[in-house]
Amino acid sequence: MSRRELLVRLVWGCRAVLGLVMLVPGMAFLLSPLKKSGRGTSFDALARMSELKVGEPRAFAVLKDLRDGWVKYPREPIGSVWLIRQPDGVDPPVVALTAECPHLGCAVNLAADGKSFLCPCHNSIFSLAGKPENTVSPRPMDPLDVQITSGPDPEIRVKFERFRPQADRRIPLA
Amino acid sequence: MLKSLTDWIDDRTGYRSLLAWARDFPAPGGVGWRHALGPAFAIVFVLEAITGLLLMVAYSPSSSTAWGSVFHIEHALWMGWFIRGVHYFAGQAMVILIGLVLLQMVVTGAYRQPREFRWWLGLGLLFLTIALSRTGHLLPWDQEGYWSTKIETNIVAGIPVVGPYLQRLIVGGDDYGNATITRFHAAHVVVLPTLLGVCLAATIVLVRRRRTVTDEIARTEAFWPEQALKNLVVAVVVVVGSIIASLALGGAGLDAPADPSSGEFPARPDWYFIWLFHLLRTLPSDLRLVATLVVPGAIVSLLFLLPLLDRLLPKKLAHGLACAVVLAILGGVGYLTYGSLRADAADAHFREALAEADQTSDRATALAADLETGVPPEGSTYLLRQDPLWRGRGVLERKCLGCHVAEGKGKGEQTASDLAQFGSREWIGGLLENPSSKRYFGATAGAGGMAEWKRASKLKPEELSLVADFVATFAVVPDDVTPDDWLSTKEIADHPGLPLFQKECGTCHVVDGLSEGGTRDAPELFGWGSPRWISRMVRKPGAADRYGFLEPKHQMPAFPAEQLTRGDLDMVIRYLRGDYFKTAPAAKAH
Ligand code: FES
Repeated sequence: MSRRELLVRLVWGCRAVLGLVMLVPGMAFLLSPLKKSGRGTSFDALARMSELKVGEPRAFAVLKDLRDGWVKYPREPIGSVWLIRQPDGVDPPVVALTAECPHLGCAVNLAADGKSFLCPCHNSIFSLAGKPENTVSPRPMDPLDVQITSGPDPEIRVKFERFRPQADRRIPLA
Repeated sequence: MLKSLTDWIDDRTGYRSLLAWARDFPAPGGVGWRHALGPAFAIVFVLEAITGLLLMVAYSPSSSTAWGSVFHIEHALWMGWFIRGVHYFAGQAMVILIGLVLLQMVVTGAYRQPREFRWWLGLGLLFLTIALSRTGHLLPWDQEGYWSTKIETNIVAGIPVVGPYLQRLIVGGDDYGNATITRFHAAHVVVLPTLLGVCLAATIVLVRRRRTVTDEIARTEAFWPEQALKNLVVAVVVVVGSIIASLALGGAGLDAPADPSSGEFPARPDWYFIWLFHLLRTLPSDLRLVATLVVPGAIVSLLFLLPLLDRLLPKKLAHGLACAVVLAILGGVGYLTYGSLRADAADAHFREALAEADQTSDRATALAADLETGVPPEGSTYLLRQDPLWRGRGVLERKCLGCHVAEGKGKGEQTASDLAQFGSREWIGGLLENPSSKRYFGATAGAGGMAEWKRASKLKPEELSLVADFVATFAVVPDDVTPDDWLSTKEIADHPGLPLFQKECGTCHVVDGLSEGGTRDAPELFGWGSPRWISRMVRKPGAADRYGFLEPKHQMPAFPAEQLTRGDLDMVIRYLRGDYFKTAPAAKAH
């Protein structure tokens, strides 16, 4: 190898060092959002049984400490849940459906007649049990786990989760 | 395959001739390390642009969010501390590199005609680099950046007539805040780098222009590959040095969030301005102008006029004089900087303040990192302002320790009790054992009631301890509970200390529904040590249910809301009760 060739190789070596020093940490930095958030899910009290009437869905806000980047917002509404009380004797006594539409994530509303759910964005329609009644949404509204405390006026506690939009199965987001 | 692809691209774009133009030109003045400084400066500038762009992805320029976003970069994002560390240290290295380039130009006479413009562009690059470093220093909005900006812009304000206006323009108003950050940000990420890029491009054009290199052209060697390698080696050394510095010092460092109300932050300007700061603090105040205007003005003008000396003086003499001038400036700057560092090292007060600042920033880091606390939505300044440990202790020291003490330490003559652990089982237990200790009522004029009781009391140690247990339960009485509610809870009703309390304490101390008092004046004890009780004690110490029975001159002065805000009172109370975020002695992040 001639001296000139050696020098050229060394030039490329230096360029590679500088390139890698920028590229590797830079990529890692930009890929940080893929890091697991470690956000735990827990059951939160949303309502009391006495606030619900059989067959009349009501929406409740889920209040949680929210960590937005570096800021901590204490008890922020992070989502909304439809609670539907079932007739006596039916188990579970309360069904919880997240208001986030399985189609593209808009907030699902109750239709004007109160007999079905309607998503305003692309007109998905769901029955009060969450079954799709047209073909817009790929899956039913997402049910959430419910715990009901004992006592004269039990508390309804719901585990709030998010699911991947557009999927035809319920896939929890980590 | 690859060859035919590059052939095709070359055919359509002609990029090879461009590369050849960039490489195959004769290096003016020959190949050498001293010619590598300038190109290395340019390479490092490109790396700064890349790391800067990365940081911009995660940085949020406002006084409430800047610190938090930088904290997030440092502690939450992958390699964030590394990228910020390299950006910071390589930026400092750029100041040194361009300084060396200029020095080299002076020593070798390269500043002289026909290369005046290269010298002036070099000076422009120096000032732009310093301005970049300076504006960047403020962006994290931490104590260090905040206070050093304040010092430096106050030096600017000392310039006669225009100074105050200039300062307002730089700061964006009267106060340092959002407007300061937005304009420093714009300057740092767009304006200054663009100007620097233009100066660099102009320099490169001039370097390649034959006219300006006539006296060097005799000795030319090919730039490629020898000089290219030297340039890159210097750049690699700078970058590796920055990485080592980041690793050794844990990154660029982030102080506690900026707080304009924080008492004494030991602020110093950036290292390249320390000499000016030292000059200003050593000169008598009527000579201030020397430091703010005369000296910097003279240096800048001298440097700019340096190439023109040739027109006045013989060539050799002019060069010698230029070298002497620059050496004198460097000597003076070095001497003043050294003087400043020595003065600081000898200043015990300064070192103490530094140590305190370090503790504050550790606390801020711990609070921001914890999921329970985090940066509050009001902004990073409130991270510490809403921390009972930090804020509560500060308020206690300022407002209470003139008379009280905490763990034996006060700020004046002790005329009241020791507030450390006030409200705890330990405190009340100690009081019942020895009320006339200085920790309790020993130093408090007129409050001899407990001591009198102690002399007469025949309680056995176990019984005393039960009474203390009972009284300590007062501290956890919630705000909305009445004495009735509380007395009917099972644990309280069955408490073995209750009958003893009733018999021993109840003769003087009133507790609704439990004891009548009356034998002697004494404060009401229901909820003693709870936020509600302490709050009333602070607001209305002269009330009938507190110490209204003392002679006015012996009473604690009241602290109404004008003197002690609701928030500050809460902070003190939570601090006294130990109700704050406690750090596990965990290893530092990274
Ligand atoms: S998001 Fe609900 S229908 Fe599209």
